[in-house]
Amino acid sequence: MTEEKRKDLSKLPPELRPFLSRRAFLAAAGVTSAAAVAAACGARTSTDVATPVDAEITTEAATGTVVWSNWTLYIDVDDAGAYPTLDKFVAAESIDVDYIEDYNDNNEFWAKMLPLLQSGQPTGRDIVSPTDWMAARWISNNYTEELDKANIPNEANLIDALRNPGFDPGRKFSLPWQSGYGGLGWNKAKLKEAIGTEDMTSVDQLFDPRLKGKIVLLTELRDTVGVVMAWQGADPTDFTTDQFMEAIDFLQTQVDNGQIQQFMGNDYAVGLENGDITAVIGWSGDLVQLGEDFGFALPETKGNLWTDNLLIPVGAANKAGAERVMNWYYDPAIAAELAAYVNYISPVKGAEVEAAAIDPALAENPLIFPTAADLEKTFIFMSLTPEQEDEYNAVWQKLLGN
Amino acid sequence: MAADLNLQRLTREFGEHTAVDHIDLIVPQGTFFALLGPSGCGKTTTLRMVAGLEEPTSGHIRLGDRDITDLPAYRRPVNTVFQNYALFPHLDVFDNVAFGLKRRKVADVKKKVSEMLELVELGKMADRKPGQLSGGQQQRVAVARALINEPAVLLLDEPLGALDLKLRRQMQIELKRIQIEVGTTFVHVTHDQEEAMSMADTVAVMNLGKIEQMGDPISVYEHPKTAFVANFLGQANLLKGDIVGEENDHLVVDVHGVKFSVPRSEAPVHDGRIVIGVRPEKITVVDPGVTTLPKNQVAATVIDSSFIGVSTQYLVESPWGQPMIAFEQNRDPTDVARPGDPVLLGWEPRHTFGLDPDEDLKAGLQESVPAL
Amino acid sequence: MVPYLLILPGLAWILFFFLVPLLSLVATSLQKRAGTSLSEGFVPALQFSNYTSALGEYFPQFIRAFLYAGIATALALVIAYPIAYYIAFKATKYKYLMLVLVIAPFFASFLLRTNAWKTILSADGFVVETLNALSLLPEDRILNTSVAVIFGLTYNFLPFMILPLYASLDRIDPRLVEAASDLYASPATGFWRVVWPLSMPGVLGGVVLTFIPASGDYINAQLLGSTNDKMIGNVIQAQFIVLRDYPIASALSAMFMFVLLIIIVAYIRRVGTRQLV
Ligand SMILES: Nc1ncnc2c1ncn2[C@@H]1O[C@H](COP(=O)(O)OP(=O)(O)OP(=O)(O)O)[C@@H](O)[C@H]1O
Ligand SMILES: [Mg+2]
Repeated sequence: MTEEKRKDLSKLPPELRPFLSRRAFLAAAGVTSAAAVAAACGARTSTDVATPVDAEITTEAATGTVVWSNWTLYIDVDDAGAYPTLDKFVAAESIDVDYIEDYNDNNEFWAKMLPLLQSGQPTGRDIVSPTDWMAARWISNNYTEELDKANIPNEANLIDALRNPGFDPGRKFSLPWQSGYGGLGWNKAKLKEAIGTEDMTSVDQLFDPRLKGKIVLLTELRDTVGVVMAWQGADPTDFTTDQFMEAIDFLQTQVDNGQIQQFMGNDYAVGLENGDITAVIGWSGDLVQLGEDFGFALPETKGNLWTDNLLIPVGAANKAGAERVMNWYYDPAIAAELAAYVNYISPVKGAEVEAAAIDPALAENPLIFPTAADLEKTFIFMSLTPEQEDEYNAVWQKLLGN
Repeated sequence: MAADLNLQRLTREFGEHTAVDHIDLIVPQGTFFALLGPSGCGKTTTLRMVAGLEEPTSGHIRLGDRDITDLPAYRRPVNTVFQNYALFPHLDVFDNVAFGLKRRKVADVKKKVSEMLELVELGKMADRKPGQLSGGQQQRVAVARALINEPAVLLLDEPLGALDLKLRRQMQIELKRIQIEVGTTFVHVTHDQEEAMSMADTVAVMNLGKIEQMGDPISVYEHPKTAFVANFLGQANLLKGDIVGEENDHLVVDVHGVKFSVPRSEAPVHDGRIVIGVRPEKITVVDPGVTTLPKNQVAATVIDSSFIGVSTQYLVESPWGQPMIAFEQNRDPTDVARPGDPVLLGWEPRHTFGLDPDEDLKAGLQESVPAL
Repeated sequence: MVPYLLILPGLAWILFFFLVPLLSLVATSLQKRAGTSLSEGFVPALQFSNYTSALGEYFPQFIRAFLYAGIATALALVIAYPIAYYIAFKATKYKYLMLVLVIAPFFASFLLRTNAWKTILSADGFVVETLNALSLLPEDRILNTSVAVIFGLTYNFLPFMILPLYASLDRIDPRLVEAASDLYASPATGFWRVVWPLSMPGVLGGVVLTFIPASGDYINAQLLGSTNDKMIGNVIQAQFIVLRDYPIASALSAMFMFVLLIIIVAYIRRVGTRQLV
């Protein structure tokens, strides 16, 4: 199925998310709207071919409000349900921000925006937050505005590792929001019970027969197949179709023999907690949030480094305002405040120092502030051509039973 | 005594309210028994207890020498014709009538049902649904459906209530014919006193959960024992007076200075205060000068007279100001008295009945169906 | 003339909200790819092979959808009937309270309710522990098995079964039940001969209203099932949203609707023509 979101922890029991606002629950319900989107798609003669849009005609007059679609639980929230870092921005820059947590799923959001983009209508958003591969799709279709770096002086704080992704060399159209790892996650007690250790270091352990029926892998192709390919010795940053298929075939055998219980989105977290699942290929932020009794590690054979990006849809009404928002979050102090809350990897240099002031343990957490050695153990999944994407997605969905 | 229906101290309470209050009753086998009474007096509740659809609070129901009080409805040899018929809307006439036979796995269902449908003259309607029948036809299906089981007792709860007057009379005759033909005990509940009296061998008048009086229709009508029965069953003039003497087995009663005779056997008390009564059709209305009148006489003034063909009905005022009613057979329509005319009323002492002096003269009035 | 004019809005409604999307669905289902990749879109065509290839590929999910929905519908009927019966005949004072309780789950999102089931059916939960203690679970778990999917479907669509059943049971005159017992029918016989046939419109409505959404559902299989429990709804959803293969997705939708229609019509003809009141 489609990628569900690593940040959406609304399915966790209440005691685990004392900070969680009601909005997260409401947003969780949004997934069902996929059906409505599907219906809308059916009624259309579809061409995903890039349709050049005349920005001058479609651009509305700047209103002073920035509309931002982001994933749920992906920003700091206080007890009153306000967003402190965002409120400070509004106060400092006199630009209003309409922050909407309606980005539930890359594919779903794309399906929602595509008809508007194709027909040259405004999307109603000034910032959207797709994951790398989806950001690639936006950019390659010319559906984004080029960033005016003059409005984003703090862009200089972007860490070097993320400066030149394949889909946007030099970051002309996008800036990272947060990054995270796809790697090994586990329930320490259950793991010890099953195989006598509290630590996981290798993908081999995942496929230990003693964990039969107790492992869950992500429905996200790049995380799961990337990790498995790397383990099989292929290079996820540059692989062949045969290598991809080899990983799929292996996974199919593990489905058929009952080793793999299921493929899931972020809801594996509930299963880990309930004891239904012992180990997963999961996301670092989730496991940090789950706490002491749960472990996360990048496998020896490397894990997936993914990034969610901020970009400005073509024809955005308040491009300049959007750029100011981006600039704000590249201020190390603000970035640290954010990282302290969301538990993902901050792309901002200097945030670590600021974070130490908030909470020293935070600054030392390699899952939030990775060292260069940590990043050595990661790969960034190869950019796929449209044909590759079709082909790989098809076999992947087939594996998932869809 | 084979299968007489026998209710013993039968009682049913709903919370504080006693719907049926220690009723004792015997309905001999093969008789047509009518239970008569105003709305809410407990008729349906009594019937439902006999059918097994309502549990008595106390008391017993016996059928012959069998105590059926604790028998569930479906084991009782008793069937009911419901007030609204309660025909099964999804079954046709044949299957409705065959329902009871099939449940008891009786042989020859087809033949029996056909015969029964002939009896109620519905032979041609066998494959119709209840919804496709007229009210009278539905009613006959309901009777057939119950009767075909040859129950020891057939209970009929106002089976004719939904029919118009003409059809009602017709169905009354038909029901009576069927009852005589099959010889089953019928317990027939009704509001309609004429219906009760014309059909039944025995009528019981019920009020407030109790049976006020029971007997053959003529004796109950002619000799009511309470003001309620007198008023509810037909109409009555009830006069309050004092017993002032006795002559030839008759008591002499003084009502506001006017003397009336009541047979001693008709009086519940023999001295002191008393209520006497006379039915309006027993009263002769004549001009004041006429002397050939029955013994009980009183002068009165006509308030209203209505000529209704077979008779003339007078509403008159007695000397002491009490309104009275009298029906004159319409033998000579020329001498109808007009409002304001002085008249003389007269009736035979043997048509006079006595009631307990503490009776409420208005009891049973509201609910009674005016007999016109 | 005027009466005919009055049906115009309804006709227009049907045209625009049913016929047009349906035709567009069929048209899309026959399109072919414009280029080598799906992102290049599709062009109008009469590519009937979309149907055969879709059916060939996803036949198991088709069968599973109708099988799971069928079992869930049967279970829902068995569970819902006593509940509806109780509300209609016995609840008297609490009738409306109970009806509200039946509908209450609708006020929570479908997704949240289904997720709640994950917790209920989890390994450390009461249900699994009890069943395991009784050695009744072959796989020692319920979650991510077909049992969980069928449970989920049954639970989620139960109100669709209860409400029509209640509506038809409530219309049955309780005196008919008394009449049956007066006519020598034991309570069980009275139920089968009188209540059950008279409640057939509710059974029919409940079965149809439960079966249709259950067979098209994808949330339950997605959240509660394993990869081998996916239903046709999951395939259609993935084809539309993830793969964006609109012709295949449309062909699957069209076939699904068609098969569903045949099943429903066959069912209604079989059951519905029995004497309904
Ligand atoms: N199920 C019940 N619960 C409470 N009270 C009841 C119930 N059934 C009957 N009653 C009460 O018992 C009394 C007798 O009712 P019943 O139905 O026997 O009267 P009825 O003589 O048949 O009247 P009608 O001529 O109007 O049919 C009424 O006051 C009625 O309100
Ligand atoms: Mg009654």
